[in-house]
Amino acid sequence: MGITIDCHFWNPNLYLEDSLDFKYDDIGNDITLRKPIFTTDILEKIIQSIKKSRNDYLLKTDIAHILDLIGKITDMWMNPNYKGRKIVRKVLPTVTGFSVEMLESWGFNHFFSALKKENLPLFGKLDPNNYQEYTPLSDGLVKAYGKSNIIHTNFEPEVIGHICAGNILGIAAFEMVLDKLLDAATWIKVPTEEPVFGALYARSIEEIDPELAYSTAILPFESSSKNIQDFLFSKSDIIRATGGETAKKSLTDLSNKYNIPIAGHWHKFSFIAISKEYMNEKAKDIAELASIDVSIWDQQGCFSPQEIYVEEGGDISPLEFAKILADEMENTSKALPKGLKSGKIQVLDGYHQYFKKEIIGEPVKLFPSQNHKWLVIYDGNTKNVEPSPLFRVIRVKPVKDVMDIPNLIKPLGQFLQTIGVAIPNERLIVFADAMGQVGATNIRTISTMTLQKPWEPWDGRFPLHELFELDGIRWVSINTKDIDEGIKKALKRKRDIVNYNLQRK
Amino acid sequence: MVKFPSDEWINVFKEKVNKNKKYLEVAKNWEGDFLFIISPDNFLKKEIKFYLDLWHGKCRDAYIVKDDKKAAFTFKGSYSNWKKVINKELDPIRGLIRGMFILIGDSKIILDQTKAAQELVNIASTIPVDFED
Repeated sequence: MGITIDCHFWNPNLYLEDSLDFKYDDIGNDITLRKPIFTTDILEKIIQSIKKSRNDYLLKTDIAHILDLIGKITDMWMNPNYKGRKIVRKVLPTVTGFSVEMLESWGFNHFFSALKKENLPLFGKLDPNNYQEYTPLSDGLVKAYGKSNIIHTNFEPEVIGHICAGNILGIAAFEMVLDKLLDAATWIKVPTEEPVFGALYARSIEEIDPELAYSTAILPFESSSKNIQDFLFSKSDIIRATGGETAKKSLTDLSNKYNIPIAGHWHKFSFIAISKEYMNEKAKDIAELASIDVSIWDQQGCFSPQEIYVEEGGDISPLEFAKILADEMENTSKALPKGLKSGKIQVLDGYHQYFKKEIIGEPVKLFPSQNHKWLVIYDGNTKNVEPSPLFRVIRVKPVKDVMDIPNLIKPLGQFLQTIGVAIPNERLIVFADAMGQVGATNIRTISTMTLQKPWEPWDGRFPLHELFELDGIRWVSINTKDIDEGIKKALKRKRDIVNYNLQRK
Repeated sequence: MVKFPSDEWINVFKEKVNKNKKYLEVAKNWEGDFLFIISPDNFLKKEIKFYLDLWHGKCRDAYIVKDDKKAAFTFKGSYSNWKKVINKELDPIRGLIRGMFILIGDSKIILDQTKAAQELVNIASTIPVDFED
């Protein structure tokens, strides 16, 4: 029997459904997605409604109560038997193309642990003068780069709009939670690639506290619906948007047109850096961890690595490491398999590109999987920085010194984002400082590249802060105070997930 | 009427905290001293720092700091924002989340003590105040 999922949410007491036409998308596996076809008249009513809930309820509700509610909702979703989670388990593999193993272990368990009260970022802003060197913040370190240049301040945004990209799963929930901490009404354009979870999460808020939920509207509309987007921009105090370069251009133009500040998060490049101190008996552990960063979300996230730089001079050479990594890619692939989107064409594309180079004698060695599920490429040419075809295709490149990487990567500048590292503490701060200077924003323990901690800055700005103030300071974080401790925890997490999933098979 | 900020205000505040039964109850587990920093703005010319030693629902000490003083927590905001807090127009925790105040210290500990923070504001709001502006 088929299932129809509503991708929208707003206060049902508005009784708008009878006035709306709906579009039905049959996405296969007996799943149909129902999406409203909006008009500006309907949207006007929805915006008025979320503003009313904000003014009548949210502003008058104790912040401690809101935090408790967020905690309760998170607890609900952490329960594998929660009805919303069951729907997600049934529907999201088809909607997103990711395997259920990936969605369950990496998506739910880790994503929702970030939405616990004790992990939420409750410092609105930091004084950059106190962070001129890498300084402890939560369980990591941050440093402020550049000078303060505040171009927008509104401590009390009434309506915050969000345009979510499809490559960051669950982002709609994170946006809803942060907006409520700021007492703001919320509208969210959920991504076409994954229009389901936002509405399910909003309904879970409704189960616990309907009035709180009704300060949010989930609006599944196409990016091409220009009049809808125009209307929503004109009704908002700030927009946070994630997307690629095309979205950047069109949304920036729109924000200029309506003079609405935009906190944009656009296309990025991320990579892994491993120093020689880990190229010994620890190399297998590091390969296990690198295989996680490459495999999670099939490299679709901006925080996913596209290259791995391995420092020469250890007991294990970068070429040998590539071979060890290939073995681990296979193990991880069994535990966290690909879903419906196999990306086989992309993997084959990577294979053919580098096969030719190997044949003509370039310093290239391919380590392919038998079924084109992943591909490890050792590439001795270090001068070129190339984007990966993604879908678990990764290049391993040798460097004489990890401190050569900042110069190699420098041309990417503002496109740099996350660096997964296995570099000892005594060298890490110097490396992080150099990378921060050239534009990177998030230094994370290897295997945690895709695990944004709520306190961490995102593309150089704190997620809560940028909703009420846009400043020129670029914040760079290291997500651990002790890399070896971080690696130890990461290995346990990886092995727990991989072993659990392998045992179930 | 008591001038804010002043020695007189902080002394009255300390007295009122120590007489308040509700604060004694909600802050019974609190251990930690504070620096409340009032930053200058259009209405206040010079920064003023209050030191408060809060311990298990009592205020053991409170005074204006004349020199460098360290505390477990520093809560800093502009004079105008402090005025909003004292007039109960702004919840200090909301002010912190919205960036109107900056906290130095563990925000998680403060967030577990929202009731105590609110009661301190309630106490402050009972002092008849003569503001700078």
